[in-house]
Amino acid sequence: MLRMRGVSRTYQDGEPVYALRDTDLDVAAGDYVTITGRSGSGKSTLLNVFGLLDVPSTGSYTVGGVETATGGQALRGAIRGQVFGFVFQAFHLLPGRTALENVEIGLLYGPHGRRRRRQLATEALDRMGLSHRMAADPRRLSGGERQRVAIARAVAGEPRVLFCDEPTGNLDSDNTDTVLALLRKLNTSGLTLVVVTHDEAVASEGGRRLQVHDGVVIER
Amino acid sequence: MRRTRHVDLDQGRIRLRIPRLRWADLFVEASLSVLRHPGRSLATVIGTILGAAAFVASLGLGTTLNQQVSSAFDSRRATEVMVQPETGVTSASWLEETALSRLRRLNGVVHAGRRTVLSDRPIARTVDQAATAPSFPVIGADPAAVRVMAPELTVGRVYDDFQERHATPVVLLSEPAARRLSITRAGVAVFLDDRAYTVMGIYRDVARRPEAMAAVIMPYAVATALSDSTAAPDVLIETAPGAAQLISRQAPLALRPEAPADLRATAPPDPRTLRDDVESSVTESTVMISAAALLIGTVSIGNAATAGIAARTGEIGLRRAVGGRRRHIFLQLILETGALGALGGTIGVFLGVLATCVVSLANGWTPVIGISSALAACAVSTVAGMLAGLIPATRAARIPPVQALQR
Repeated sequence: MLRMRGVSRTYQDGEPVYALRDTDLDVAAGDYVTITGRSGSGKSTLLNVFGLLDVPSTGSYTVGGVETATGGQALRGAIRGQVFGFVFQAFHLLPGRTALENVEIGLLYGPHGRRRRRQLATEALDRMGLSHRMAADPRRLSGGERQRVAIARAVAGEPRVLFCDEPTGNLDSDNTDTVLALLRKLNTSGLTLVVVTHDEAVASEGGRRLQVHDGVVIER
Repeated sequence: MRRTRHVDLDQGRIRLRIPRLRWADLFVEASLSVLRHPGRSLATVIGTILGAAAFVASLGLGTTLNQQVSSAFDSRRATEVMVQPETGVTSASWLEETALSRLRRLNGVVHAGRRTVLSDRPIARTVDQAATAPSFPVIGADPAAVRVMAPELTVGRVYDDFQERHATPVVLLSEPAARRLSITRAGVAVFLDDRAYTVMGIYRDVARRPEAMAAVIMPYAVATALSDSTAAPDVLIETAPGAAQLISRQAPLALRPEAPADLRATAPPDPRTLRDDVESSVTESTVMISAAALLIGTVSIGNAATAGIAARTGEIGLRRAVGGRRRHIFLQLILETGALGALGGTIGVFLGVLATCVVSLANGWTPVIGISSALAACAVSTVAGMLAGLIPATRAARIPPVQALQR
């Protein structure tokens, strides 16, 4: 489903920085892939390129057989919005909007009308066990609740791949368990997961474990 | 990218659509961003509020002042005509009562009377002070000419036709003269050339002929008896509003039909021209002040919008991550700054109207506010908001999502 061939990502900051080197990688539907590595190893770059938040410097990256380099930002935006979902360590919930409105933002640029968006957002929050917190401002939610709202936002549009960048990085152990259980459940239902983490316990959840070292991806 | 594209994702084909944002959703998003962050919005629009308020208030006060100035010109200067002899004319027939009667019969003449202005004369409180007494200009004016000058009396009254006919020695003192002579009431005597004159009244101001402001006024008949070679007789006329130009042409003929060219009538400029000149200069000044205020407002909203948008790069990154395109980000931010401009303009107009009304009422003026200036302030503020948002919105739309999410 996701295929990288000879993908590298180089940043020009005086001396060129090779964040990702000559990577060949395939992710199939239903995979639960975890990516680990030390800080600065290139694991977040790999996730960003995978999630089309960043573009490779060289190589080919196809999603469902479609070459992502040729379609421009419109194609990459369409794939991000309709095929991928994202969960960030910093949650990126908008203050001043309710939990429900935050989840709806994940669907804003898609094909659904307002009523359908509200329905999908409500169902997603319900699945996350937050139906009683729909009207709450994110600033009034606990860390665990915020991350569950962020996951609801990511999965409300029924994406095929969910990218998570340190999803438990800001959570205590109880909330970490809750989030991991949710991710496991989502994967069981057929959602492909790509999770970047520095936490061994989270990494061990994945069916496939990748390690990034100085921009080189190694399958463990 | 074509309108739709299929992606095969093992489990089945997904039809990709170009991400879109309906106009209704765009308006809702922009409105929520503005309304749900009142502190941020207020910080952004404060400059626009002040700019629009200054624009409306300065234009409103300018228009109100124009109206006041015009009214003053119309009611005072524009209703005054003075007739004087041309150089070398010695005949005084035009100053006789029959000549004045012809003049007073002209349609548009309200009052008309003779006046003569003498050189400064010493006026003393007592006879023995004559040598050290202060000097004042002496104006001889018959009661009709006094009515034309319209002194504002604080004490006493104006002498009448009887006193004029009988050359009664009475005077009206201006406040400066009364103060120098330590006179505060009517009925006391002052001395001029060793002759006693009874003070009939003290005046504070005159509506016409400002040379009377610090003078002593006495009956025309009394003044002519004192007349010297410097005396300059003339006829003062108060006309109905709008009649000054016409009366200035007719007066020499009425006063001296046999030789009207011997007399020169001076009328104020055409009140419409005068008013237009005054209004134009006041309006030019206020428009410049107003334009400067709005420019400051635009720069202010530009700065605040730049700072506000810079603080929202995380949100912009998120919107790009969930499919938002550059144009969606750009349009939403432009719409937000435009809405903030409109909001600031509306609040500013309200404050400007309020300020105009308060200042006008405090001064006893009638506030005059053009609806066009209020509408212009709102429209200019909206456009200014959108223009101010152009650069930060363009910058924000260009930030790659991965960079935006990292900030």
